[in-house]
Amino acid sequence: MSQPAHARINVDLLRPLLRTSWRFYFLVAALGSIVLTALVSWLSQAFFGFGVTGIRWPVYWGFYVTNFVFWIGISHAGTLISAILRLVDAGWRRPVTRCAEVITVFALMIGAMFPIIHLGRPWLAFWLFPYPSERLIWPNFRSPLVWDFFAINTYLTGSVLFLVLPMIPDFAVVRDKATGVRKTIYTYLACGWRGTPRQWHRLETAMQIMAIGIVPVAVSVHTIVSFDFSMAPVPMWQSTIFGPYFVVGAIFSGIAGLLIAMAVLRKVLHLQDYLHPVHFQNLGKLLLVMALLWGYFVFNERLVTYYGNGPSEMAVFWRTQRESFAPLYWTMVICNFVLPLVLMGIRYFRTITGCVIASLGVVVGMWLERFLIIVPSLGHKYLPYSYGIYRPQPVEIIIAIATFAAMMLLYVLFAKLVPIISIWELKAGRASASLAEAVGEGGDARPVARGEANL
Amino acid sequence: MPKWGMAVDLDRCDGCGACVTACHAENNISTVGADQAARGRAKHWIRVERYWEGEFPDVRLKFRPVMCQHCDNAPCEPVCPTYASHHTPDGLNAQVYNRCIGTRYCANACPYNVRFFDFFNPSWDKPLHLQLNPDVSLREVGVMEKCTFCVQRIKATTIQAKSEDRPVKDGEIQPACAQACPSRALVFGDLSDPESEVSRLSRSPRGSKLLEDVGTKPSVTYLSKQ
Amino acid sequence: MKAVYGLYEDGQAAQQAVNRLRAAGVNDRDITVMSSQPMEDVEFGHMGGKTWMWWIACGGGLLGMATAFGLAWLTETSWPINVGGLPTFAWWPNLIIIFELTMLGAILATVVTLVVSARLGRSSTIYDPAVSDGLILVGVEETSDARVRELQDALGAVRGEIKVVA
Repeated sequence: MSQPAHARINVDLLRPLLRTSWRFYFLVAALGSIVLTALVSWLSQAFFGFGVTGIRWPVYWGFYVTNFVFWIGISHAGTLISAILRLVDAGWRRPVTRCAEVITVFALMIGAMFPIIHLGRPWLAFWLFPYPSERLIWPNFRSPLVWDFFAINTYLTGSVLFLVLPMIPDFAVVRDKATGVRKTIYTYLACGWRGTPRQWHRLETAMQIMAIGIVPVAVSVHTIVSFDFSMAPVPMWQSTIFGPYFVVGAIFSGIAGLLIAMAVLRKVLHLQDYLHPVHFQNLGKLLLVMALLWGYFVFNERLVTYYGNGPSEMAVFWRTQRESFAPLYWTMVICNFVLPLVLMGIRYFRTITGCVIASLGVVVGMWLERFLIIVPSLGHKYLPYSYGIYRPQPVEIIIAIATFAAMMLLYVLFAKLVPIISIWELKAGRASASLAEAVGEGGDARPVARGEANL
Repeated sequence: MPKWGMAVDLDRCDGCGACVTACHAENNISTVGADQAARGRAKHWIRVERYWEGEFPDVRLKFRPVMCQHCDNAPCEPVCPTYASHHTPDGLNAQVYNRCIGTRYCANACPYNVRFFDFFNPSWDKPLHLQLNPDVSLREVGVMEKCTFCVQRIKATTIQAKSEDRPVKDGEIQPACAQACPSRALVFGDLSDPESEVSRLSRSPRGSKLLEDVGTKPSVTYLSKQ
Repeated sequence: MKAVYGLYEDGQAAQQAVNRLRAAGVNDRDITVMSSQPMEDVEFGHMGGKTWMWWIACGGGLLGMATAFGLAWLTETSWPINVGGLPTFAWWPNLIIIFELTMLGAILATVVTLVVSARLGRSSTIYDPAVSDGLILVGVEETSDARVRELQDALGAVRGEIKVVA
């Protein structure tokens, strides 16, 4: 009954691991060289001095912090899809969870590098770690940057474990299918997994606990990132709405990133039988909801500022809305609000292509949003004599582009080494669905299994 | 325990800039060159802000020297992850260069924009390197720096007074800017001594604080004709 | 010592094999079942199910909470530094550190419990790669030679491969 499907699932999802074409090596080389260029750029910044960037008085944060917030935001994809949908037992999540969790882990890794990249003395970054030092000083636990350190590390640890634990049964499948050196590696990675009910029960319990735990951590992480701004008395930064505003923006950009990744994987790895249009439509509806939520928060923030009519705040307000930053601002509004509403709101456009276009727009729009929060405010604080204009320099631009290349590179490498769709979760979903069919239309069929029959 | 503060008389300031030059000389602040200054990298711990008021021909020129306000409720202090920016018991906002890892959060939080970042290692063309003050450490690239109320002079005078077993006299400690000002617009002293000149000036009806509504509780009082 | 196991196509067949083993007098603890996915809807899928993991996770969280509180309170009060005129130890900012380390403690405790209680890392005596293809393995890991024949009959009452491993 289920055996042919099993074998075909194994074949389809293990194919990237067991066969490599020239295209893979070419992609890795191309992306790797971009990342290498960025590394050289950053080392030149450390060597020649921080002045090679565009940072200046008084705009002391620019592209680097924008990238930091942007990538931490993208990392919220996995948590939403994987953890929340797991908790509400939505069956349609099964082919999507690992793609999403992988985005989380890699986006977090990339984002977490920026607090080091943007330091004036990055070789001393380890002072953020609480250890008894001979200088008799500990980190300042009242500083939002130390909160960042703790939050991002907790989230990274949790996300890595959340990703790796369900990979163990899949490593066991690869172990059984592979030969030679691969077999040895995957035997080691599978940690002696046998698949007894005891192990399955413990794995599922662990995933349940971690799903419950990782959601508040994810919410806290981006709230704490928002505290990097709202804890400073800067016009249009010191707003209590920043916490939820940033979390919503993070989930928003995360879903967009996930949609793009899914569409690419579906095309390149021939996963048309596993990633169906309904998955994209469901995520597209989520994208629409997040776009509306994002618009709601922006409206809140700006209406309250406008109504308060404080001189410094209004100066920054108009700077984004109708003065020098207006082109970027209105591009952001179109990319983040108009485009998703039109493409995801109208069913005719809610196709896979439509989802990808909307998501690309959201990725651009959310990057612009982070930039527009940071730079206009810093360049236009309270004393007019100290206003300043920020111009990004090549170092910053190269590193910004390279983060996208790094994300793609890590993703390509991951898809080569691990099945990108969780094999056992997919099979478990199908088993429940087919059991429901076997039981029939009578009372025993569980409602959840009905939804899973769509798979 | 003294609480150091300053009074700036805007009606006396004529924008000569002697305070800026003296501060550079006293505190080993390097000039950054025309290119870098145009890109906003100049490090004037005290700067003279120049504002024009009115339309020609009724134009008035106003000068305002702005230095670190050494706020009691300094927004730059809680945000520093390594305690490089903290408050001393005698009311100074201290910047410990050795603790600074250069996150620049303090500079963003400062509403007065009086914190400066070392974008490059400092350099002095010969023979200016001979003029460096041995009492003040040089800052390497990547750390924040700002006005310290010439803490080296405060410490030196305090130690001298202690060794002579007498209290510090009012007006004995002169930061470089106050010492250089030809119109005596800058007055430094102990705010906790009600008889000191700076205390009396800070109680003057001409006195106000800069950006008082931000709530930073600065230690510098600005005096101007109301 | 020999191990005996059979491979079955689906959950129902495997469940019947488990029942026949039980009828032949084998303890639940000695019955080994292996599958490539969790078989929650079949009875044997719940064997060995009781776990303390939830409690251990809570305990780990409490440990993390205590660590964070201790770290913040001890370091902030031992070396008090005035920043912004704020209190030396305040609940609002330190709650963030406390929250993060609480969650970290719970997560790490969960993972450690998983590795230890699922006995991951230890090699097993019997396994068949056919499990990865969707077959379900039901067997007894250690049995005396005398019982092998009896268990083979019990396992083989319905069609399925029976194997004996030395």
